[in-house]
Amino acid sequence: MILDTIDITQLLSLLAFNRDEPMLFTSGLFWVLFLLFLPIYALLKSRRKKMMLFVIAFSLYFFYKSSGLFFLLLVATSIFDWWVAQFIESSKNRTERRIALTVSLIFSLGILLFFKYSNFVIWNWNALVHGNFQPLDLIMPVGVSFYTFRTISYVVDVYKGKIQPVDDYLDHLFFLSYFPCLVAGPIVRSRDFIPQLQENKPATREMIYGGLWLVMLGILKKAVFADYIAQYNNIAFGNPTGYTGFELLMAVLGFTMQIYCDFSGYSDMAIGLGSIMGFNLGINFNYPYRSLNVTEFWHRWHITLSTWLRDYVYIPLGGNRKGTLRQHFNLMVTMLLGGLWHGAAWTFVVWGAGHGIALCVHKLCKPWLDTIASTRVTRFFSWLLTFSFVAFLWIFFRANSFHAAGQIITNIFTDFEWAYLPVFLERRFTWSLMLAIIFGLHFVPRHIWDKLRERFIAAPWIVKLLLFIILIQLVLQFASATVQPFLYSQF
Amino acid sequence: MNKPYWGLWTLLLVALLTFVVLSFWQDGIIVGGLEIKTASFARDLGAEMTSRPVKDTDTLDASGRLPNGKHPKGWRAPMDSTAKNILFIGDSMLEGLAPRLAKYCDKNGHKLVEVIWYSSSTLCWGESARLTELIKTYHPDYIFVCLGANELYVPDIKRARRPHLKKMLAEIGDIPYVWIGPPNWDEDTGINDLLQQEVDEGCFYLSANDKFDRSRDGAHPTRASAHLWMDRVVKWLGESGAHPIRLDKPAEGISRASRIVIYQPPK
Repeated sequence: MILDTIDITQLLSLLAFNRDEPMLFTSGLFWVLFLLFLPIYALLKSRRKKMMLFVIAFSLYFFYKSSGLFFLLLVATSIFDWWVAQFIESSKNRTERRIALTVSLIFSLGILLFFKYSNFVIWNWNALVHGNFQPLDLIMPVGVSFYTFRTISYVVDVYKGKIQPVDDYLDHLFFLSYFPCLVAGPIVRSRDFIPQLQENKPATREMIYGGLWLVMLGILKKAVFADYIAQYNNIAFGNPTGYTGFELLMAVLGFTMQIYCDFSGYSDMAIGLGSIMGFNLGINFNYPYRSLNVTEFWHRWHITLSTWLRDYVYIPLGGNRKGTLRQHFNLMVTMLLGGLWHGAAWTFVVWGAGHGIALCVHKLCKPWLDTIASTRVTRFFSWLLTFSFVAFLWIFFRANSFHAAGQIITNIFTDFEWAYLPVFLERRFTWSLMLAIIFGLHFVPRHIWDKLRERFIAAPWIVKLLLFIILIQLVLQFASATVQPFLYSQF
Repeated sequence: MNKPYWGLWTLLLVALLTFVVLSFWQDGIIVGGLEIKTASFARDLGAEMTSRPVKDTDTLDASGRLPNGKHPKGWRAPMDSTAKNILFIGDSMLEGLAPRLAKYCDKNGHKLVEVIWYSSSTLCWGESARLTELIKTYHPDYIFVCLGANELYVPDIKRARRPHLKKMLAEIGDIPYVWIGPPNWDEDTGINDLLQQEVDEGCFYLSANDKFDRSRDGAHPTRASAHLWMDRVVKWLGESGAHPIRLDKPAEGISRASRIVIYQPPK
């Protein structure tokens, strides 16, 4: 009866590439496929070569589903950089090694720059010279920013002699195409990942159910919290002139929490899936909004990106080894590039510049700040200042234009009335409650999270199943719930 | 397969089967007054999500409709010059549109009933029986709808709103209608695509590409801009609409509908 209603053509179209529906860990299709993937993976796990071929095939399909034939770019990059790393290792000529590295960087970065920044260059060129170049109709291959950074770190580490190149090409392709990290990181390094792959230890019960725990946390953050609160944020950021200062401030706070839940939630799912498969992918977010200064924030926010930028941009530029002025210059360049990496728009550059300036100011003031006694009051004000500053800069990250960002900031400072609070809470109660929960959860001590995780791992199977079903039902409930767009529309 | 993998796999399988089975209750399940939403597996696997594609061999029925219930591309009813009972429903956008349509009605002998449901969407209209009640009360023989502005940013809108939109269209039934799309002030997440897919050929006016002068809220067109918007809709209806009626252009200005009904925003 049920099978009779299934349309095979529709089923096949669901499995084919669709640029509007990339396969994400929050999609039902992914979990159906993962259900097919898991037993085969478990059976092949002890037979390393077969397991690798199977995971590579699944990863490439995962990439194909989201980016079509662009998955071949990933294969081409992996072949080329694997060969370059072998060449660098075998060559004794310093110039040859340097040329090989340069060619590899041009190849990897060239692909990234073409797909991500071509239209940005065209728009800026048109604006500068009143040109009439048409933007290119480009599909951005999903995850290109992430795998490009992973392959660069591999080749550079081989060049610097920090790691040996991998002998087996399949090891490298497995590392580069590994589907949990493909779409949004974490930016795992070859030196951390390949030894685990070569050792191929079986996944323990703690890793498997600890991974499921992380995946569930990630789903909660991404598919329940972030996706729901995003609705109001999108409306307010999309039309800032229609909202009062109070409503816009709530949208800024909302986006501050949305981006954390979105990004860290997706990272949690990736790390959890890695753990289920027996791989430790590290951590990527460590309660960033607890930070007491901007430097600490960058030690806690998107850790694999910030350490990548430190190791492959900041330190090669000279880091802090060439004097204070040069250190600040290096910091600014690193953060500007970091901003541009997040998106091809000047608003992202301003976001990066803001963080760069704040890092420089913090470094300059650090000797004086260290003399201030650490009390609850000073810690609170340090936190408040850091949180407010980070939230303020998210305006530029999210706004569609500088004009919109300016409108938001202007309204917050010139059209702010607390009188909107009760109406806002009444009409957007669920949204406000959710924001408060996310904020509160951020300050739950780590040992409590660890304890909850241990309890989940030790819990009976049926309890885990019920928790999983409740979570997915929550996702369904909130997926179609909507946030009131206008408090009241008066023409 | 080792024991923990077996345990995880069965957990995922049982969960998936639970949601697949529940998904056959496509309209959700009511438990103690609370609606338990269901997943879209059944809708995704069945073919009823979107209308059946038109085939070359399909023939038209007596009312000029294909077997999928829609008129073929380019189909137009002959101009109907009789006086109409027009029902105009929608969200706050009607505040600008309806007074101008009332002026057209005055000039052309039609009667207009205007129903503004503030902050409404296809969701609340689709979930309520309000449209059916209005049709029963006012017996319109022509309907204008302007909805979608409160749904520009709804995630996964095609899945979330398609059933509600279909229900509205079913309520309208055979009554000739025009659906005026939202005047986008920002890119939408798919409401216009959804409307174009589901609304009958020649019954949907895409407003998203029009230029508007906006009021202070940045969303609603100014009164003058909304009057021009209504003029464009009427012009399009005469030239390309599936059910053209007599709407000769009146002088500038506005009039008042014979009846105005206002509903407060949905909770």
